[in-house]
Amino acid sequence: MENCRILNRIVEINISNVKYADIELSGNTCFVGTNNFGKTSLQRAILFFYSANSRGLGISASQKPFEEHYFRYENSYIIYEIATEDKPFFVIVYRHNKIVFRFVDAAFDPDLFFTANDDAMKIKDIIANMEKRGIYISNQIDTFERYRNIIFGTETDKQLSKFHLLKGNEKYQNIPKSITNVFLSSKSSVDSRFIKDFIANSLTTENSSIKLEQVERQLRQFNEKYSDIETYLKKESQQLIELIDKKYDQVHMLKGAQMEMADKLGSSLRFAESQNEAIREAAKKKEEELDLLSAEHETIKEQLEGKSNDIREEIGYYDRTIREANKKLKEYKEKNIDAAVEKNNEREKLQVELNIARREYESLTSNVASIELKYSSLIEQLRNDKSAYVNKINSRTSEIFNHYNELQLLQKNEFNKRDAELKQKREEGIGEVNAEVTSKQIEFNELKSEEKVIRTTRFYEQEIKSLENELAELRAVNYKNKSERAIKQNMVVTIQREWEALETKLKASLNNRVNQTNNEIIKIKNEIKDIEGKLNVQHDAFYGFLEKNVKNWHQTIGKVVNEKLLFRTDISPELKQETADSLYGISLNLEPVEIVSKSIEEYQFEKNERMAQIRDLEEALNLFQTANNEEKMLAADKFGKQLGELKEDVKVLSYSLELAEKREQKLGHELEDWSSRAGKEVEQSLSGNRQRLNIIEEELAILTKKKNLLINDFTTQFDKLKAYNEERLAELKERQESEVSELEVEKKNQVKEFENKEEELGKEKDSNFKSKGVDAKQLKNVETRMKELQEALKEIEQYAQIISDYLKDKRETFDRLPDLIQKKDEFVKTNNDLHAQLEETTRKFNMKRMELNKQKRAFDEELIDFNNGINFYSNNFRETPVYTKYSDIIERAESKRTNYHIMDLCTQLLKNDSHFNEEYGAFQRYVNEFAGKFRIENHFNFVIRNDASQGEYERFAQNLRSFINENKIELSIAETATQIGLVTDSIATKVKELSGQKDKIQHIIGLIAEDFKKAEFEESKLIEFIKIRLEESDNKVYRLLKRIQEFREENGLVYNEGLFNTDFATGQKREISTRAVKLLEQLRTAIKEQEQEEIRLQDLFELKFNIKEGMNETGWTHKIDSIGSTGTDILVKAIIYITLLHVFIKESSHRSSKDFKVHCIIDEVGQISAHYLRELLRFAKNRNIMMINGLPNKSGLESHYKYTYQFRREENNNVRIFPSIVTEVEA
Amino acid sequence: MLAEDYNLPKQTHEIFSVMARGNFISSNGTRDGMNRLYDIINNPENFDRLQAYFNVIRYNIERGNNFFYFSKLHEANSELEKKLERFERYIDIIDLFASMDNKITIGSRFRPGEIAEECNANVRLKQKLQKIPLYRSETLHNKVREICDLMSRDSYLELEDEKTESYKVLDSYTYLLDVINSVAIYEDSSNTDNAQGLIYN
Repeated sequence: MENCRILNRIVEINISNVKYADIELSGNTCFVGTNNFGKTSLQRAILFFYSANSRGLGISASQKPFEEHYFRYENSYIIYEIATEDKPFFVIVYRHNKIVFRFVDAAFDPDLFFTANDDAMKIKDIIANMEKRGIYISNQIDTFERYRNIIFGTETDKQLSKFHLLKGNEKYQNIPKSITNVFLSSKSSVDSRFIKDFIANSLTTENSSIKLEQVERQLRQFNEKYSDIETYLKKESQQLIELIDKKYDQVHMLKGAQMEMADKLGSSLRFAESQNEAIREAAKKKEEELDLLSAEHETIKEQLEGKSNDIREEIGYYDRTIREANKKLKEYKEKNIDAAVEKNNEREKLQVELNIARREYESLTSNVASIELKYSSLIEQLRNDKSAYVNKINSRTSEIFNHYNELQLLQKNEFNKRDAELKQKREEGIGEVNAEVTSKQIEFNELKSEEKVIRTTRFYEQEIKSLENELAELRAVNYKNKSERAIKQNMVVTIQREWEALETKLKASLNNRVNQTNNEIIKIKNEIKDIEGKLNVQHDAFYGFLEKNVKNWHQTIGKVVNEKLLFRTDISPELKQETADSLYGISLNLEPVEIVSKSIEEYQFEKNERMAQIRDLEEALNLFQTANNEEKMLAADKFGKQLGELKEDVKVLSYSLELAEKREQKLGHELEDWSSRAGKEVEQSLSGNRQRLNIIEEELAILTKKKNLLINDFTTQFDKLKAYNEERLAELKERQESEVSELEVEKKNQVKEFENKEEELGKEKDSNFKSKGVDAKQLKNVETRMKELQEALKEIEQYAQIISDYLKDKRETFDRLPDLIQKKDEFVKTNNDLHAQLEETTRKFNMKRMELNKQKRAFDEELIDFNNGINFYSNNFRETPVYTKYSDIIERAESKRTNYHIMDLCTQLLKNDSHFNEEYGAFQRYVNEFAGKFRIENHFNFVIRNDASQGEYERFAQNLRSFINENKIELSIAETATQIGLVTDSIATKVKELSGQKDKIQHIIGLIAEDFKKAEFEESKLIEFIKIRLEESDNKVYRLLKRIQEFREENGLVYNEGLFNTDFATGQKREISTRAVKLLEQLRTAIKEQEQEEIRLQDLFELKFNIKEGMNETGWTHKIDSIGSTGTDILVKAIIYITLLHVFIKESSHRSSKDFKVHCIIDEVGQISAHYLRELLRFAKNRNIMMINGLPNKSGLESHYKYTYQFRREENNNVRIFPSIVTEVEA
Repeated sequence: MLAEDYNLPKQTHEIFSVMARGNFISSNGTRDGMNRLYDIINNPENFDRLQAYFNVIRYNIERGNNFFYFSKLHEANSELEKKLERFERYIDIIDLFASMDNKITIGSRFRPGEIAEECNANVRLKQKLQKIPLYRSETLHNKVREICDLMSRDSYLELEDEKTESYKVLDSYTYLLDVINSVAIYEDSSNTDNAQGLIYN
């Protein structure tokens, strides 16, 4: 047994197709067997001891997993026995659902596992068996990690800590990794990339690479968002947004109008359908009313006209009577009736006076009565003769007078007759004309009153009133909406200010935090730098000297030395034995003193701690930034939503105001229209009236003219007749006068003769009286007075008849004249009243008739309109797509009267629909064009399908509007800005983490180079030297990643505000952001081009070799395809692996732990020459490494190994592994 | 004079290789960074430089509504005629596209299957599609595919998603519409067989 720790033995019980195998491994071991006999499986089982990782054993995906392949049975076990300085212990590996381990503090004994029948026991029996025997067996170790911790000596459990192979440090994982890597490397050529991978894989875990797929995804996400925002912010897109918004409003409005109109159409149709019969009935009723009204009016008219005729007759009677009375009165006046009446009044007085005169004359002549009687009789006789003559003459005169008078009378009669005839004709003519004029006048008056009625009638009053009401309501709503909009606009301004203030506050707080964090990071970085400085110099400093030369120096010098002194390189320490345990010769008890020096691990720990602090700070900053952004987003969400809602409200209000304005205008126009229609209706009615009036006026004028002509004609005829009459009368009068004057002359002459004879008789009488003594003079006076009186009486007598007639007339007529006039006036008034009454009745009748006619006409027109409308609807609208589009609304509308005709509504709907289609087409085009500008999977979700419905297009516009109102682009910009920060930060962190390990690489490479130097190749002169060196990586992706990390270091976390050309994007920030975007874009392109999955530690550097074998020197190269023969290549490769393994083991194990050996498993070394193999085994042995190799067959090489095992397949397909009996030549 | 003397953008070669093939660069094209190329040409400074540069090699950059293309200075008539002939076949295609229920306009996204389906359901459209010459595909779907393929090659469409076979109409479609719209069709009255002629203006 060796005095060191080593994997001493591996025992397989029921593993794969090996029933039992016990293989010793305490020296170089070789497995000989043809392919597929289980050599590699066994080597994997050995590797599993070191790696304890069932997935890193090089089992391909097509093969069964480790667990399945090895542990097929309940009683499958792999036992690893480890030799230690005193007694060995072993580890049982078995499957209990998963692979588990148990450590046993004893040497392996098959009896512990097998029954008497050589059957492997179950684990619980094994445990029971061991416990029975008092052998310590650990609890089940469930995890590979814990197992490794135990094996590599980092387990803290005291019971388990003794079961270690070696004491590893914190990097012990490199040991199993290295062993695994050596085993897995099967290429024969030595490629620096493989070595790089080896070193890197040994240093890193699976997660310590930068997964480019992930980075690419992040970059793509960022890039897509960035490009979406960029597209959105483009001028063309903004113009399209405006156009979409505008068109959407138009389309919406048009649609609304169409729907409204469709509703009206539906209402009108329902109304028309329901009202058809009712209107017919109403029209019929109106007709009946009209007939009744006309009949009533006729009755009243007849009554009034009858009364009027009676009164007119009365008036005619009175008029005639008055006229005749006046005429008589005039005639009497012409005959000087007043004087005659006056004289007549004196008649009695004259008669008395005559009687007195007669008595006086009788008394005077009483004495001479005979003479008197003789002369009186003579005179009387004479007088009688004279009278007879006079009478005769008078009679003749009168005869002539009468004759002529008769002629005159005849003439007058003739004249009168002709005059009457003419007058009658004239009256008739004029009467006819007058009747015609009267009828026209009546008609004229009727028209005038009708005009009055028309003027006072308000046409379309209902419509106008409803429009006026609607307008008033609309204005009231408008006023309300305007004030509401003003309030909301104010609220928008207020919220915007509030939002801006909050954003400024958030921005300021973020800036402060960034500055604060950056300062702290700078401070910590300085500390790290300080620690790194110490770590870098520690090898050459006093610290390194103490580490190498003074055991437990921390317990002694470490308690008293100044830390600065420890890292000085210029104090040249030397070891002097005599003062080794004292301070300049003074012994001190340092037990109670605290250690001030720190171990390298502690420095490393401090450094790591500070780095963790930086990470924490950055993480905290990131969190803060995220929180800040979240707060920003919350604010944006809160304010944006409020603003959006308010803006939407404002927009809705503006829109309703706009609509209302349009509606107001429309209503105004409609009102104007109705008013003008009403005016027109009035005008039309009036113009009809006026035309009639004009015609009647013209007719009246013609009639007046005709009347005047008639009057003139008659006047001429009258004049002619009068002139003829007057002429004839004058002629007759002249003849009468001449004949009368002839007779008068004759009479005068004859009377004169009689008077002369009388005078002679008087004179004879007087002379006789005188002779008889009678006073003749007195007698004469009496006689004269008597004569005068008689004359006067005679004259009075002449007028007696006229006066009597006059007095009769006066009594009967003239005195009643005022009464007659009054009565006539009364009748005239009554007649006028009747006339007025008739006129009023007629006017009322006309008005009522007109109203009824109008109503009837309205019903008729409505009926026609309805029928036309329904026909038009059925023939020209029902089958159109417009109907289909609005059928729901049309069919569901309530029956209601509207101000519109069905036909107009149909036409308008059709017309509007074509306009709507045009507008909608434009709207769709704009939406398509806008959405087409974005990627199909843009993060704004601006996507519209080609077969999208109208609703979807409208929703798109609505969403776009909300997007703008809620200012979501700012959110998106903020998110993207955060994202660029996070992406660069994530890249920078990963790069930093990865490149942090570059130092380790450098260190390892240094050690390897050193180890190569130490190699004792000189002895055999096989290989003169193997050199290795590091170079900068030429990996484009890594370089870009590095640049991003540098950029991040340079510009800190927040440089993303100027990401887009927005208001706050200013100068430097914008430039920095542009650079960041460019870098990320370059990285993305590089990742795409390079098609690399991840950036690992090995991509961070280039490794070059220079190997000289004999006379061959490869020069500095990445890959050495062939240095010499295949054997040489295998040798070099193996040497390099062993060196690597050695370096890693040295680096990863505790300094105190030196007495252990590990295995280097390299399969297939068959092509190596015996000489080389010997060289190789010695090279390994010098580094405490035992080789486990595979050989296809026995070739003599096996003689160089301590143990050789052969593999044989038995008949039952089981493999038997048995030791080959060879002698180790050299080890 | 070298290209460097013009201080040209990096993508000049790329721009040239697209447009010299007679293709368009549209602002809404996303494949092969077409929108980036558009932005580069659309930058006034770049535009002047590129124009000056290309004019030397007798090409002129023409600006359409959100797209660019090359025209050749002093092009031979025979070349022009060939170009016009190329447009002839688009008349029926545009006619078909314009007759669809869901009109295909700039930015529209569609799949050939959708168009074929609509054509199948509408006799008028089906006839229009069948009338389109040049294509020998048996099914309507394949015919529409060929049309889309042709239009993609001429850079009027872009195959946006190969999996779903989704095409997007590019801004250059305007050019096609403009050219087609400026074609006046007249009937030759002297010709009895009602032959139609084309006037390009």
